[in-house]
Amino acid sequence: MSLWKLIKRSLGFYWRTNLGVLLAVAVSTAVLTGALVVGDSVRYSLMMMVDARLGRTQLALVSQNRFFQADLAGELSAELKTEVAPVLQVRGLIANSDGTALVNRVEVLGVDERFFEIGARAGDEAFWRNWSEGVVLNAPLAERLGVAGGDEVKLRIEKPGLMPREVPLTPDSDLSFFSRPIVKAIAGKSQFGLFSLQANQLPPLNVFVPIRWLQENLGKAGQANLALASGEITAEQADTAVRKCWRLADAGLEIRPMPEQGVLEMRSRRVFIDQVLSDAAIKASDGAVGILTYFVNELRVGEKTTPYSTVAAIAPAGKNIIPPEMKDDEILITNWLADDLDAKVGDSVELTYSIIGPMRKLEDRKRSFKVRTVLDINEPLLDRELMPEFPGLADVNNCRDWEPGITVDLDKIRDKDENYWDDYRGTPKAVVTLEAGRAMWANRYGNLTAVRYPLAGESSKKIAESLLDRIEPASVGLFFQPVRLRGVKAGGESTYFGWLFLGLSFFLIVAAVVLTGLLFVFGVEERGEQVGMLLALGFSPKLVRGLLFIEGGLVAMLGSIAGTAAAVLYTKIMIVVLSAVTTGSTTYFHARPTTLIAGGLSAVVVSLLAIWLTLRKQVLMTARELLSGAAGRQFLGASILSRGRIGLAVAAAATVAALMLPSLVGGEKSEAVAGAFFGAGALLLTATIALTSSALKIVAGGWKKPMLSLAGLGLRNSTRRRGRSLAVVALLACGVFLVIAVGAFRHDPLEHADRRDSGTGGFTLFGESAIGILHDLNSAEGRRKTALDPNILDGVEIVQLRVRDGDDASCFNLNRAQTPRLLGVRSAQLLNRGSFSFAATKTGDISETAWDTLNEYADPNVVPAIGDYATIKWALGKALGDDIEYSDEKGRKFKVRLVAMLENSILQGSLLIAEDQFVKRFPSEDGYRMLLIDAPQDRADSVAAHLSERLTDLGLGISSAKQRLAAFSEVENTYVSIFQILGDLGLVLGSVGLGLVVLRNMLERRNELAMLRAVGFNKATLKRMVFYEHSGLMLVGLACGVVAALMAVAPALKAPGAAVPYLSLALTVGTIALSGGVWIWIATVAALSGKMLDALRSE
Amino acid sequence: MLELIGVAKNYASPGEKDGLCVLKDITLKLEAGQSLVIVGPSGSGKSTLLNIIGGLDRPSAGRVLLEGRDLAELDDVELAKVRNQDIGFIFQLHHLLAQCTVLENVLVPTLVDKDRSSKKQAQERAVELLNRVGLGDHLRYRPGELSGGQRQRVAVVRALINRPGLLLADEPTGSLDADSSNNIADLLVELNRSEKVALVVVTHSLSLAERIGDVMELNNGLLKSRSGA
Repeated sequence: MSLWKLIKRSLGFYWRTNLGVLLAVAVSTAVLTGALVVGDSVRYSLMMMVDARLGRTQLALVSQNRFFQADLAGELSAELKTEVAPVLQVRGLIANSDGTALVNRVEVLGVDERFFEIGARAGDEAFWRNWSEGVVLNAPLAERLGVAGGDEVKLRIEKPGLMPREVPLTPDSDLSFFSRPIVKAIAGKSQFGLFSLQANQLPPLNVFVPIRWLQENLGKAGQANLALASGEITAEQADTAVRKCWRLADAGLEIRPMPEQGVLEMRSRRVFIDQVLSDAAIKASDGAVGILTYFVNELRVGEKTTPYSTVAAIAPAGKNIIPPEMKDDEILITNWLADDLDAKVGDSVELTYSIIGPMRKLEDRKRSFKVRTVLDINEPLLDRELMPEFPGLADVNNCRDWEPGITVDLDKIRDKDENYWDDYRGTPKAVVTLEAGRAMWANRYGNLTAVRYPLAGESSKKIAESLLDRIEPASVGLFFQPVRLRGVKAGGESTYFGWLFLGLSFFLIVAAVVLTGLLFVFGVEERGEQVGMLLALGFSPKLVRGLLFIEGGLVAMLGSIAGTAAAVLYTKIMIVVLSAVTTGSTTYFHARPTTLIAGGLSAVVVSLLAIWLTLRKQVLMTARELLSGAAGRQFLGASILSRGRIGLAVAAAATVAALMLPSLVGGEKSEAVAGAFFGAGALLLTATIALTSSALKIVAGGWKKPMLSLAGLGLRNSTRRRGRSLAVVALLACGVFLVIAVGAFRHDPLEHADRRDSGTGGFTLFGESAIGILHDLNSAEGRRKTALDPNILDGVEIVQLRVRDGDDASCFNLNRAQTPRLLGVRSAQLLNRGSFSFAATKTGDISETAWDTLNEYADPNVVPAIGDYATIKWALGKALGDDIEYSDEKGRKFKVRLVAMLENSILQGSLLIAEDQFVKRFPSEDGYRMLLIDAPQDRADSVAAHLSERLTDLGLGISSAKQRLAAFSEVENTYVSIFQILGDLGLVLGSVGLGLVVLRNMLERRNELAMLRAVGFNKATLKRMVFYEHSGLMLVGLACGVVAALMAVAPALKAPGAAVPYLSLALTVGTIALSGGVWIWIATVAALSGKMLDALRSE
Repeated sequence: MLELIGVAKNYASPGEKDGLCVLKDITLKLEAGQSLVIVGPSGSGKSTLLNIIGGLDRPSAGRVLLEGRDLAELDDVELAKVRNQDIGFIFQLHHLLAQCTVLENVLVPTLVDKDRSSKKQAQERAVELLNRVGLGDHLRYRPGELSGGQRQRVAVVRALINRPGLLLADEPTGSLDADSSNNIADLLVELNRSEKVALVVVTHSLSLAERIGDVMELNNGLLKSRSGA
């Protein structure tokens, strides 16, 4: 015989009790470890997603609407000694061959072998070898379209113009290119099919095409707008390599000799030369002359007019026709124009020209000049090459084919104008100073159309070198971004589900631990006399405690092992639910051994603590008391006489602490809010349970009047085993707390969704297009140009937003969005409508005037932004006043400062900034790709159908604003459901505890009950008494949970969109009470079955 | 061996200012191998006296000397050691460990001693004692497989396993039938003699008392010789 053997014997003999303890420990382990493993799995999946979408890509050069030579990739590869793949990336839309399945926004990626070598896993089918035609779809897209290899698809691809679509004199036609290619293959994850630079949860929808094919069809021969680099290189190293390898063509520039004019001319593919480039070009060589040529609507002298002409603005430098002393209000006209206008030196010539405002709204302006000189039309320095390659002008043979991007009244074009075009093409008919020209025609895309250098001066090579030395590649969008680092950060900083689950599971774990303690106590009490015997035989209390502790510890360890195994199952179930929430994304099960061990050990430690605490009290009894069976009786000691003052003090202190906690924790960030919620919840539960303890003490010790009713007797009885009663109350309170607290966050997003101050903003429809819409869809002109029927759109108001793609910062994305999608908005549109509601602002004013904060710039490098509550709090983990760093399209860093927070809305996932700031930072982002459409409810479907049909070439997809809002809320409500399941589990534990306590109490008091039977109580009466006693405890438990929950969620319920579903919560509480009552009744009936008087006889 | 000098015991009672007096000025002396039976009606304080003698309870006044040591001067650990080494307890309810075999139950008191070398000797003694009480064939039985008399015999052997100088028995036959009671009484007498152990038995059964030895009566808190001395 040994102590160890004694422990083993006890373990086996009391297996039922031990099994109960084991199961309770297993539950707490499963919940605790499961929560951590869920966190691990989500993190792991996000990291796997980084690998899937980036392959071995470390850095990416994303020039978007600027195009560089694809050859640059090869040179960078050689310089950096790593793989660099050029990509031509544009947006598009795709449908299956019969048009029954359409996907509006897809990424069309022109790639070659190098792309797949960076991303595809070795050993997979290399469909990209010798690939010259056909498209490859990624698996999610193929699934959406229902197509397979060999099928035909309809593909429409955005066709980037020579210059941005919003540049003056750019035609708004020819926006896309259509083809019907055959699907060559379907690219899975291992074949780099999920490539995406955005850290989004939902899989990208990619169409891969051969880069040459795409270049040819888009008129971008040899060009690319994205380069991916692998290898262990930094962005700085890569940028240095770009600086070393790049050429003028990569900046969209070219220098060509013009022997007839005796000059070298530098031009831009984008027609207008960026100011940063033009400034450098002027300084690149002596004798440089800046030129800005524009297409004017009219030249007028008196009643005589000449329509549609080019006018050049030339700097008075170098070899020139502009005399140095020429003033800015003077003009040189050709003799052709002088004849046409009957003008002479000194006459006033009025120029009428159009500039393009937002939404391509043309604005006619006029300016008058005094004729300084009349030039010969054949003046060598006045050549047709002064007109840049305006699309729609330079490439047509006669004036009637002009499409200059402004309205051309063909009736005004005369034969002589046609003849001029035939003879002189775009030769300017007049010349003004460069300063005058810039004042009229400079725009955000540039302030020159050409720079000319003397041919006799430096060589074009020298000039190019000098020019490249003076400019940073980043200023034309050529800079690398650490996309992998950003992806890893997005995954690493994501909301750690482990803590979130653990936080919400905390109350369940507490319940399981309380149950562990309760069951263990039952076991020890059952063995009270045995313990007394051991003490009598000379075992010290410490040794007896040690024996029981080791026994309990072994049970806890076994429970922990079982619980760890159960945690795996628990996690897998949670993953299934989470995957359902984020439809389309995959969450992989991933349990780190350290997490399993830590979770298991933590549960053991917590359980041992509970066991130790209960043991401490149990073995405090003397051997004599234990041997006399006192373990089963409650002794009313001096503590009762304190009349529960300690409990009241604890309750008061915990309540005060709970109320102060939110301000103590401080901050508006999600972690702080969650921490305050959990902390306040725990404190409030402590307070209510302490209050209950006091109440029990008061009833037990201070109630002097006889209790003559059955309920009164029940109440008295519940004070006999105060610890046990409190355990039941705590168990139920934990479960109810979770169910109520979490349930309070469930809300109906569609309540009042028609109102403008709701989450829909009063919009009925939400649209997103693949290709930017250039026109104002509210104006008659805009509707005409986009072929929209004014009758159908009568009474329809559309708010158009510019879009800069970025990370999805909505609840669909588990990553921590690093650079969320930006929306450019004219705040007045939303302000005037009173759309959406503000939850909080930096200034504290939450009226609709908060929209104006978008236009308040204290710092030129800081852009104010407004986001949705869920976006700022949860997706970004930020608070008002926080900054997010962005790079503009020229690589200049700027900060987006969160100044106001909208209530939950359809704008979730993005940040809104003022449109003028948007345009300033991202001038190449053409048009508007997001539409908020306010259509009469009864015509919403027809409006949606009409817009979709007419703007289908732009890939416009329209959905119901309510559905969009509901989709976001559905995700939130699903999380709520998950956490409510935890609450339900807590209630199950509570019910089990309640049932066990009923049975145990009845077992201990069987003699007493038998006595009551003997004195004439019938069974039904006894059942009622027992029922009153325990249902009282249940109701107190419910009340504690409900009160604590409502107090804990009260601050959060001030949050936007929060509306307590009182009815459903009341029903929930009612159901819990009903089910608790049923269980108590069942346990009571079971406990009081059999011949109770036998117990009396045996005594 | 055992000496009680002026032992008294009071319990706090709401109705009485000085508390409820259970034992009054108890003085007695017992030498090794001697036996004493204390009788008295229910509630007379017999068990309380036995608990005080056994160190399970402390007197309100007076001294309890065991082998010359005042139990009042011992701390809990020392007192536990005394109970383990010097005193053997037999209870009305045998309090056997249901999870252990007969042999294991007997050996339970030896578990307190960490000296592993004595374990084998203890086991040999346990077997020997069990043979003596007629349970040599029941070493691997569980308490649940024994009769009431057999269980009590196991409890008696358990009380003797550490060779205590004093054996205390509280209503050792209280839960047994007449035959079993007689057997236990005979066993106690036999062991008292053979083991040279001082024996104090508390019972309300006069027949048992007379089978064992000197009888004293406890009444109204006072201990008097049965003969009135």
